[in-house]
Amino acid sequence: MTAISYPLAERTLANGLRVIVSEDHTVPNVAVNLWVGVGSRHESPGRTGLAHLFEHLMFQGSRNVASGEHFSALMDEGARLNATTWFDRTNYFETVPTGALELALWLEADRHGYLLDAVTQDNLDNQRDVVKEEKRQRYDNVPYGSALIDIYATAFPEDHPYHHPTIGSMEDLDAATLDDVHAFFRAHYGPNNTVLTLVGDVTPEEGFTAAETYFGGLPPIELQTRERHQQLPPLSEPVRLDRVGDVPNDRIYVSFRLPVDTTPDYLACQVAVDVLGGLASSRLVRRLVRTDETAVSVGGWTMGLVDGVGLGTITVDVSVGADVEQVEAAVCEEIRRFADEGPDDAELESVIADTERSWLSALASIEERADHISHHALLTGDPAYVNTFVDRIRAVTAERARDAAAAWLDPASRAVVRYLSDTSKDADQPDDTDRPDRPDDSTSSTDSPDSPDKDSEEAA
Amino acid sequence: MTAVARPVVAAPQPWAFPEGTTQDLPNGLRLLTYDVPGQYVVSVRLGLPVSLRDEPREREGVASIMARTLDEGTAEHTAEEFARLLERKGVSFGAGMGDAGLSVDLDVVKGNLEPALDLLRQILTEPAFPQAEVARQVRTRLAEIEQERSVAAHRAGLEFVRTFYAPDDRSSRPTGGTRETVSSITRDDVAAFHAEHVVAAGGTIVVAGDLEGLDVPALVEGALGGWDKGPRERERYLQHAAALAPDRGRIVLVSRPGSVQTEFVIGAPGPDRSVDGGWAPYPVLGFVLGGSPNARIDAVLREEKGYTYGIRSSFRPRRRGGVFLTSGSVRADSTAESLRLLVEILESGRNGFTDKEIRSGVDFIAKTAPGRYATADTIADEAVGMALDGRTTAFTTDNLRDLATVDRSRVEAAYARFADGAGIGAGGPGAGWTIVMVGDASAHLEAVEALGLGDVTVVTDA
Repeated sequence: MTAISYPLAERTLANGLRVIVSEDHTVPNVAVNLWVGVGSRHESPGRTGLAHLFEHLMFQGSRNVASGEHFSALMDEGARLNATTWFDRTNYFETVPTGALELALWLEADRHGYLLDAVTQDNLDNQRDVVKEEKRQRYDNVPYGSALIDIYATAFPEDHPYHHPTIGSMEDLDAATLDDVHAFFRAHYGPNNTVLTLVGDVTPEEGFTAAETYFGGLPPIELQTRERHQQLPPLSEPVRLDRVGDVPNDRIYVSFRLPVDTTPDYLACQVAVDVLGGLASSRLVRRLVRTDETAVSVGGWTMGLVDGVGLGTITVDVSVGADVEQVEAAVCEEIRRFADEGPDDAELESVIADTERSWLSALASIEERADHISHHALLTGDPAYVNTFVDRIRAVTAERARDAAAAWLDPASRAVVRYLSDTSKDADQPDDTDRPDRPDDSTSSTDSPDSPDKDSEEAA
Repeated sequence: MTAVARPVVAAPQPWAFPEGTTQDLPNGLRLLTYDVPGQYVVSVRLGLPVSLRDEPREREGVASIMARTLDEGTAEHTAEEFARLLERKGVSFGAGMGDAGLSVDLDVVKGNLEPALDLLRQILTEPAFPQAEVARQVRTRLAEIEQERSVAAHRAGLEFVRTFYAPDDRSSRPTGGTRETVSSITRDDVAAFHAEHVVAAGGTIVVAGDLEGLDVPALVEGALGGWDKGPRERERYLQHAAALAPDRGRIVLVSRPGSVQTEFVIGAPGPDRSVDGGWAPYPVLGFVLGGSPNARIDAVLREEKGYTYGIRSSFRPRRRGGVFLTSGSVRADSTAESLRLLVEILESGRNGFTDKEIRSGVDFIAKTAPGRYATADTIADEAVGMALDGRTTAFTTDNLRDLATVDRSRVEAAYARFADGAGIGAGGPGAGWTIVMVGDASAHLEAVEALGLGDVTVVTDA
């Protein structure tokens, strides 16, 4: 057991900007990380995708910065940078050599304060095209690429902020105007809706002083906040969506509405999903992959969200020739058994050990550490969560995990999305034994600097 | 408000890759340790100079199946028990084959390093390769073959190696084997491949992380000192240079009717790290041509035209020889125009570079180094990668020093050396490149042929 105790110092500027500094001098770098309290959950009908399209425009120049200069000026100083948009927030970040910290803050302050001086119709049109290619590349031109979109639409009600994905719709992207962009900036981008985290080779006083120098002059905005939605109850009956088409094998996603992030019940659900499908020794792996051999692989994950609901999903890649209905029934059976029995000691021990190692790995880099600190400062109000998360998982008892599963993972409340291969087409295909399958390591195109993570939209 | 003046940046201090220590065990295993304070997850990396060319032709993929079955049961434990043993200690484990050899990766919190090394000992020296587990990994690989075939980027990569490398060279075929070869792999094939090749001689193990208070040499010696050396000495790296296809300079269009994008892989033979004139200019070249949103490719195809989310270029060295690769996807209706632009930009190096471009590339690569090598896993990955390349991380440091001296003339000379070697610029535009596209052939074939960049072959998957 490793004690986690990263130092945290916090100050709020007069204009409302929350600044958090976590000192770490092991490398002469500083991670600069801003979370703005706007994401796709704040979008209005007919304007989906706007938060993400807007994030792209943040790289196209501001009052004192030319289009593209944010990237080039920082990269010339050895920065690694990008931005991402997600349901609950928009995130801008760069890791810079210590000597470039002030330049990074100056550039960030210029666009976070004065973007609209530079936004043009040409930039909007160009980045709209880029975002459409991002959508085609990541969702439309990949097998199962739209699965998450289908899961959100199936598990969450139509009028719920998480019903539509962050990438938005092509039609809405087309409809976005310069006026929309201006209104969006004025409504959401301001120091009092932003958290700035600095992790690395900087003392708290240096960090606070620099933040004041560059961000202190930004005026606060008139923030229209609404209450977060009430917790959604589990679905009252199973819902399902089938997609039949050109996929290599049948895949089932069994999803559940969960409590909101960081609540004890959410964490208990996280433990339950890990025991069911999230680890190599999980129950569904043992049952479906090792024993029944009806699945090629099984996965389980939870998504922590803040606006009245979270999400938990079990994914199963079904073996060729196995019965999809039977596999789904087996998943439900194992979930019910878990809700009756709860986890045993070895299962809990595995979840805790796995969580500890993966959490420490995540915090090992200053950029990811900064991201988690910003996350919890902005969305749950507790940046020290980075130091307490593993203890919170450790505190989940067997009874608590069992009860949480009974309450939230009841198969009668499942949302099922299935991607099924079109067997009518396969019947006509000849057996082709010399199909090539996998690129040599050196030709993999998946490790480009812009390879996306699975659940948020990036600028580049 | 008063505008705050743009701050001046203080130049960073010179930097060197973390210093490691080296110890050779009597069984031929070399131990490299890197003490990285504050890195509480320790990364263990083992590199073995096992060659894909040692797989029987009709059993290609056996090395990969072997790697994936190493932890699926040992002399003392079933597969399921072993998975639980790893998990109860929070060990993340993986093993896989590549052109440079067999790689084994293990990450664990510092306090569990000793039991984790004992589990690694069992994995390496006592794997049982149960029939059921081998059969399961074979089925998993067959499903993976279908998955990869259906993903345009993977499909393009496969067609690229098939077009670029000589048909009788192992590199022209998938690392993990094909449906035909994988289907026939048995438990005995796997056990035999393991017995012959997974021995200590020539191996390099790296341990990186916060090592304060740990006697890593004693722990590694205790766990792996008894690992069989094998019947003979073995070099620590493989030497084979892959043979290229005589007709590699052509365009292959893999048909995907109705595709909303076209996926590109464009490549040509590149240098390895021992190239005359030094390796340092090549990453700069890759950066300037296609390494960032402001690089020549994305400046046009993304920021000006809006055809793509992003296309990336890089030089990928092997121990002997290498490849320069450009890959990404574009909107379907811009396919031919994108190809024309890509070839024009990739060949524009012949017309020289600006000092500003070169400065940007040098600065980015040099100044990001401390951050790129800040965590235990990235340090261990670099160290084992260098070992399998016949080098040490002193190369990483020396190369960064050399990088500081790279200027326009060195980069232009490097481009000329690369282009001459690849045959780029020898004929018309497009000569010397292997160009693979995955997209709607019927929609784009005519326009691609009309570009006059080379012969076009259409490939149709069943």
